[in-house]
Amino acid sequence: MLDSTNQTETAIDIEAVSRVFRLNNGKDLTALDRIDLKIKEGEFVALLGPSGCGKSTMLRLVAALDTPSSGSISIEGSDPRDLARDHRLGVAFQDHALLPWLTIRANIGLPYRLAGRKTDDARVASLIELVGLKGFEDSRPSQLSGGMRQRASIARALVLQPDVLLLDEPFGALDAVTRRHMNVELQRIWGENKITTLLVTHSVDEALFLADRVIVMSARPGRIFKEMQIPFARPRAPEVQREARFHELVDELTLALEPEGH
Amino acid sequence: MTDILLNSKLGRLLLNYWGIILLIAAWQTWVYCADLNAIVMPSPIDVVIDIFSNLGLYLKNGTLTLVLAVVGLIAGMFVGTAIAAIAWTSRITSGLLVPLGLILSSIPIVALIPILARLLGYDIQTVLAIVVIISFFPAFVFTSAGLNALPPGSSDLFKVFGANPVQRFVFLVLPSAVPSWMIALRLTAPPAVLVAMLAEFLMATPGMGGMFRDSLDDFAMDRAIGTSLIATAVSTAAFLLATYAEGRVKDRWS
Amino acid sequence: MRGLDHNRLASAIYGLAGVILFLLLWEFIGRNRVLGSTWPAFTDVVSYLFDPRRNGLFQRASTATLSKAAGGFALGTFLGLVTASGVHVFPLLRPGTDRLSSFLHSVPAIALAPIFLIFVPRDFVGMAIATMNAYFIVYIAATSGLNNSTKSHRDVFTVLGASRLHRLTLLDLPAALPPVVTGLKYAVSAAIVGAIIGEWFGASRGLGVLIVSAMQNYQISLLWAAVLIITVVSLVFYGLGTLAEKFIYRRFT
Repeated sequence: MLDSTNQTETAIDIEAVSRVFRLNNGKDLTALDRIDLKIKEGEFVALLGPSGCGKSTMLRLVAALDTPSSGSISIEGSDPRDLARDHRLGVAFQDHALLPWLTIRANIGLPYRLAGRKTDDARVASLIELVGLKGFEDSRPSQLSGGMRQRASIARALVLQPDVLLLDEPFGALDAVTRRHMNVELQRIWGENKITTLLVTHSVDEALFLADRVIVMSARPGRIFKEMQIPFARPRAPEVQREARFHELVDELTLALEPEGH
Repeated sequence: MTDILLNSKLGRLLLNYWGIILLIAAWQTWVYCADLNAIVMPSPIDVVIDIFSNLGLYLKNGTLTLVLAVVGLIAGMFVGTAIAAIAWTSRITSGLLVPLGLILSSIPIVALIPILARLLGYDIQTVLAIVVIISFFPAFVFTSAGLNALPPGSSDLFKVFGANPVQRFVFLVLPSAVPSWMIALRLTAPPAVLVAMLAEFLMATPGMGGMFRDSLDDFAMDRAIGTSLIATAVSTAAFLLATYAEGRVKDRWS
Repeated sequence: MRGLDHNRLASAIYGLAGVILFLLLWEFIGRNRVLGSTWPAFTDVVSYLFDPRRNGLFQRASTATLSKAAGGFALGTFLGLVTASGVHVFPLLRPGTDRLSSFLHSVPAIALAPIFLIFVPRDFVGMAIATMNAYFIVYIAATSGLNNSTKSHRDVFTVLGASRLHRLTLLDLPAALPPVVTGLKYAVSAAIVGAIIGEWFGASRGLGVLIVSAMQNYQISLLWAAVLIITVVSLVFYGLGTLAEKFIYRRFT
């Protein structure tokens, strides 16, 4: 298990990455403009920003779902596509993307089948317990609540012990109460493995509570506007959200998100 | 009053079937009052009598039509699904075939039967071919749509998890298409029976359609109506079965 | 200001290419007698169709069939809308009417023809069957469409004290318009089919008459020409229906 003070290895190296989209009417849209970012091994980084700032695009580039127009991305020295092919990436989207015809257990075990490996039933069971879905192994996604589906989605993302965990607004579709609860849970779950994680969110509270470092992005074109190292110790108790320092940082980040702040 | 209607078994039966009951009652009354010759219009009772006194004949012809419909339906859906899968693999084939398929499927079946009858001859194989054709197009169109209606985010998910194209097709694309496939089945099963009968009628080949034509030629209206009712019953049964199957699949699949 | 959508253009080109390929294949099969003498070349069928000597024949036949189809479509649509509105306002009647309509719809069209012959002249049997076909489709579309409004809409009308008639005319009928237009699109094709089947039972003229007599007398070119007319007409009306559908959906949803 990685000691949090020993995060010196760069896990994700994003160098001068730009992503330009050509629209149907012929015009160009610069979603990302020369982004430089180094994410250390075991670090939890949150990308915070308003809609249209390119944070999801950034995540998709790291996930090998898209390629940069210029610049390069490497994960542990390799091309993200290689990692995807070797089944070393884990992802959870805002739509849980659970397969409706499979049970929760089968859904979480899906990455094994895709990797051509024998399903490790013990690991699947332990992850189900870790995310708090014990007893629902044989249910179908439609029988579960939104929060429970996201837990299953996260368990699926973790099942192959990926090198990198990518989360794209996983709790965006949940109500505020469930969302706060899920943040606490995610913190607990992440604490067990301390995987290098990139979280995309537009919730300031979420970013502050979960991340080691928060990157604030600005929109059109997408650029890094502000970087903030999060001082709170790990493991983070939910009570940290009531501390004065926390509120100060919330205010600071909220201000950074305001359009006039740029 | 509405409570009695909604809560008792008899009440619900009445609520559902008063229209049909009224129709049969009106029919019987009209025949009785107008004192019609059985050649012009038999009464419901005459029809029932004819069915039960010639059960063997009805069964023989009914089974033939049903078998042709079922075999044609299965073959047609299989071919339609296969071609949808092939078309799906490449945007070019999909772009070429889907519009063509839609156009060909709007050729009215009443126009297609004579062409096929001349092409393949007046026999069972033509009836089979007709059923295959009307089953093929809905299966093709619906499966094509279903193959593209993946659960949101699942396509990206499979990419990130490093699935190869075969895995993607087997684990994601095919299962996603199953609900659409069941819809195609529900839509095609009832017409399959009726179209088979139509083809048999036009070509005067054995089966419900041929039996219907013979009874018209013999002025046996009771048999003609009996044949129609049996065909209706078979078609309705096919619809109910397919709907039930679709419901079961939907429960499991979504 | 919307620019040219490359995707839609590509799809249209592919679609056209598919059709052209098919027509070329048709021509090839016909020219080389690949499937025997009962599959003529595409160009032969077209030249037969547009032969000036036969203009009158095809015109009369088309007019006969289409007028039956149109009459059946209009009457069937009217009956469908009226019945659907009726069961919407008096919901107790709905289950029975649903079942009766479904039952009549699943009786084979050829079985209805001899029954209609008792009531109407031979040349009206086509229109009668067309009416039945159109009625069922419009009834189903309208009954489902009249229930399209959301609970919020209905609650607003209740709070505003709307009468049953107002609710029907100002909320339910407009809400039902989009699915009804879709139904109308399919009802046109069904009406054409109904008209043709009806003609097989002794009509004096029409495309259905032409098809059966051509089939029985081995007049291959006539058969294919008549089928081509029917197909093109169906496609044209389906296309018009789709345009109307798109327009209504844009305006009403």
